[in-house]
Amino acid sequence: MMKLLDISKKYGEITHKYPFEPYKVCENFRGKPAYIFDLCIGCAACGIACPSNAITVQLNDNQSKLIWEFDCGRCIFCGRCDEVCPTGAIKLSEEFELAVKFDKSALIQRGELDVQYCTTCKKPFSAKRLVKYSFDCLSKANVSEKRLEEAKEYLCMCPTCKKTATVATFTSGKEMVIE
Amino acid sequence: MKTYQVPQEIQDANTLEQKLELLKHIGRSFSVFRIDCGSCNGCEIEIFAAITPLWDPERFGFKLVANPRHADILLCTGPVTRQMYYPLLRAYEATPDPKIVVALGACGVSGGIFYDAYSVLSGIDKIIPVDAYIPGCPPHPASIIYGLTTALGVMEQKLQKVSFEHDGDLPPLVEDSVLGNTLFERDLLVQAKKLMSYVFGRKLFDKYISALTQSGNTKDAKATKISITEAMRVEDDPRYAECMGILHNEIYTQYVSCEEEDKIELHRVKWGAK
Repeated sequence: MMKLLDISKKYGEITHKYPFEPYKVCENFRGKPAYIFDLCIGCAACGIACPSNAITVQLNDNQSKLIWEFDCGRCIFCGRCDEVCPTGAIKLSEEFELAVKFDKSALIQRGELDVQYCTTCKKPFSAKRLVKYSFDCLSKANVSEKRLEEAKEYLCMCPTCKKTATVATFTSGKEMVIE
Repeated sequence: MKTYQVPQEIQDANTLEQKLELLKHIGRSFSVFRIDCGSCNGCEIEIFAAITPLWDPERFGFKLVANPRHADILLCTGPVTRQMYYPLLRAYEATPDPKIVVALGACGVSGGIFYDAYSVLSGIDKIIPVDAYIPGCPPHPASIIYGLTTALGVMEQKLQKVSFEHDGDLPPLVEDSVLGNTLFERDLLVQAKKLMSYVFGRKLFDKYISALTQSGNTKDAKATKISITEAMRVEDDPRYAECMGILHNEIYTQYVSCEEEDKIELHRVKWGAK
């Protein structure tokens, strides 16, 4: 009995004081993915990477906004969204106090992005920010002025119209020089 | 689809007022019954981690009991498989009123990764009314303790629904490339992530870029070689040191014309010689 007391004296009190004192999680802890709306370009890479579809990126009902939505209740904290995000808009934070009472909608984070309409068929196909970001990236990637002008035109087209336009340029006998 | 109608007498005995009344009388003695509704056992491991002396929830009177008839709180984990549907209902009906139901883990809250599988009902709240949700896959023991104390009103809920509706149309700035070609940064980041995963790959990328800019002229293969070799020499972690050399040899040489002697000979560099 005395031996047991000696052992407990040796090791002291190890219980965390947690609810009464803040608890510091260890380094590289994968907590709740924090969403920075100002950095998000709506490229939907996170939505595609998410294995449990906790992140969804889709157009709203009247097709005027692109809705990025994250449901923390379904998130499995794998960090794949963090891995694929090109701008660092979604990063796993150290936040672990996630419990909610009664209302599950408190777990949801969402952002509404303006959509880009296709110049040819006037259908929404992407976020405005993504088009602008792609153009900015391209303009800093050592491409010639002529290519850049072409890209500006093609970036504002939806994939179907882009395909048609490319085929049209080829078949109309226009010279295409790739520099 | 509502699969189970909560009987009227259970509904009447489980109103919010009665639950708050229970919390007033219960003092510091909460009996928790744990139901595994087809979980992968990750949540169970964390529950048992949470009741060890390291966290000691008996400070607030939490105690796991072996019978739902002794319990005040039902702690449900798992996406509710077909096999566990009736046992869950039996445990729910056996628990004395008023009862508090807590859904634990991503699966318990909304079905988690199994949310659209054919064999599960995806989430405790599809079947019985749930009072508190603890997300996490699995939740950290501290999250479990936080969730249980939140359910009892000891701590305040921190999370609120966040919605950004005003799009200012401000795309993030694309930073200027150190070599005047953003494709270099792209390839570098891809290779860094391939070598050291995304968390450490980003750190490696930052270390490499700062070493490259320290050389003065980033387009001079001789100067950058000296600068990177020096950065590798003072680097404490040999993994970063070696990967910086690999990045230099594989990516930098593609963008700047280099001769064979401008490559870093990895086996001749002494690491951690600070």
